[in-house]
Amino acid sequence: MQSILKRTMFYILFIGIWEGLFRLGIWPEYVLPSPVSVFKTLVHGFQNHTFLIGIAISMKRIAIGYGISIVVGIFLGLLIGRVRLFEETLGSFFTGLQTLPTICWLPLSLLWFGLNDRSIIFLVFMGAVLSITIATDAGVKSVPSLYIRAAKTMGAKGWKLYLEVIIPAALPHIITGMKQGWSFAWRSLMAGELLIVCLGLGHLMMIGRELNDMSQVIAVMIVIIIIGILVDRLFFVKVEQRIRERWGLVKG
Amino acid sequence: MTESVGTENFVDIDQVKVGKELQASQRVNGVWPKLRVQHVSKSFQSKDRNFYVLEDINLEIQQGEFVCIVGPSGCGKTTLLNIVAGLEKADSGDVWADDHKINGAGTDRVVIFQEAALFPWLNVVKNVEFGLKLKGFNGKERRNIAIEYLKMVHLSKFQHAQVHELSGGMKQRVAIARALAMNPEMLLMDEPFSALDAQTRWILHYELQNIWLKTRKTILFVTHNIREAVCLADRIIILSTAPGKIKKEFLVELPRPRDDNDVNVAGYSTRIMKELKAEINKVMKCEMDADSCVECDIKCTTEGPAKTDIGGGI
Ligand SMILES: Nc1ncnc2c1ncn2[C@@H]1O[C@H](COP(=O)(O)OP(=O)(O)OP(=O)(O)O)[C@@H](O)[C@H]1O
Ligand SMILES: [Mg+2]
Repeated sequence: MQSILKRTMFYILFIGIWEGLFRLGIWPEYVLPSPVSVFKTLVHGFQNHTFLIGIAISMKRIAIGYGISIVVGIFLGLLIGRVRLFEETLGSFFTGLQTLPTICWLPLSLLWFGLNDRSIIFLVFMGAVLSITIATDAGVKSVPSLYIRAAKTMGAKGWKLYLEVIIPAALPHIITGMKQGWSFAWRSLMAGELLIVCLGLGHLMMIGRELNDMSQVIAVMIVIIIIGILVDRLFFVKVEQRIRERWGLVKG
Repeated sequence: MTESVGTENFVDIDQVKVGKELQASQRVNGVWPKLRVQHVSKSFQSKDRNFYVLEDINLEIQQGEFVCIVGPSGCGKTTLLNIVAGLEKADSGDVWADDHKINGAGTDRVVIFQEAALFPWLNVVKNVEFGLKLKGFNGKERRNIAIEYLKMVHLSKFQHAQVHELSGGMKQRVAIARALAMNPEMLLMDEPFSALDAQTRWILHYELQNIWLKTRKTILFVTHNIREAVCLADRIIILSTAPGKIKKEFLVELPRPRDDNDVNVAGYSTRIMKELKAEINKVMKCEMDADSCVECDIKCTTEGPAKTDIGGGI
């Protein structure tokens, strides 16, 4: 209760100072718009559907790119985690690649796919895939051999052993990797949309810039922050916690 | 039952005789023994040398027999059970189940481990269904079978519970139901009750005997607790340590279900203890004498509690 009160006070104060600075009139409106006009732009943007369309387009891109990265990442993680040869080769290669900021894939992506959707999707994919691969690898390695032996005596072998035992047993790690992968993917999506002109939330911000409409820029920033919080806090953190509890990794 | 009858029933099989019998007759009344372990040896590599954990193990178990393997900690009981289960390979020697040589794990020999090894991502009934699903039973069939075995361990009320909501004893009972649901030829149990408190263990000894009386499965049960072995087994096989060798065999002929605290069970345990005293002393002495080697010293202290357990039973 205390903390909610403090937080509310903080935001009221924050907006108050912002409004105060605006009223002082030191900066022109395209540098510092008032909170009210930002709020109006926000409402207006949702009313005329431009924000909704922007969100839909961005979400579609991340769904495709992130979806592919989950499948590929888990597959590669299993390979590295279970096959010595891949561990010794691909393993270190991927750990090295992960130090490369995702946006550095942009020039390559542009040359491969051109200035279009697929380029952005590739960036999203590259943003998430390494995190998921590395987390799956760690998860597979931490699967208790007891589970595998128990499953084997009950007749599990081949791909069924992977599907029924190894992947579910590694799930707490995989989810953590997916959570991290999501935040990387979200960042690369925005970077891609800012640099490649083809709709989406990032593009809406660029339109704001071109029209000298700072309130639109800030309004879209707020939308991006809110989506980030919704997915990370309300989805991933909850799911992660539930799984860890059920897998007996935290004492309930 | 008077003590004198108990003493009469106390049959001590000489290891040499067992060895001879094994070579002489492979089939009893034209039926293969359920399990034959023949000249199995196993060593592990450690640093520069490899040491023998099991040396020339020969063993035969008949259909429906309940056999306990007893030995001090680290003598290779788990290793032997894993070889029988097909989870580990012997260096030399063969294991036969009925008329076929064992090559890898098989659903005819299900293992129950010291920890229940239930899958936390499945609820209780789905855990029991796990092997049935792999065997290709459809949803309804396997649910029915699973419930039937959960009833046998008195846990059908908990069918929808999550694994982390169960106590240790309940988990182990689910593991037993899960193994039985596979309808295996043989149950292999590796100290399944050693992590439980005495009271829960007492209950599960009773339940396991009843299940055995009902199903007449062949059971190979590993423990380092002599009292537990006497309580459960038709036949007790004593392994000596470093390297594991079959030291002696005892037949237990007491009416079932037996009770851990029964006078006769206690009497049997004491007798077996006496027989083993010499061996244990030998092991102790050997380890104490090797005190120039720090590693051996550590081994001695870590293995201390297990020996007391053999002495005290429960
Ligand atoms: N994978 C392995 N590599 C090396 N040594 C091993 C391995 N597995 C077992 N050993 C050794 O083999 C010996 C027998 O081990 P095993 O687990 O079979 O003993 P145990 O009789 O089951 O003991 P406990 O009663 O403590 O379970 C031990 O000395 C152990 O250190
Ligand atoms: Mg063991």
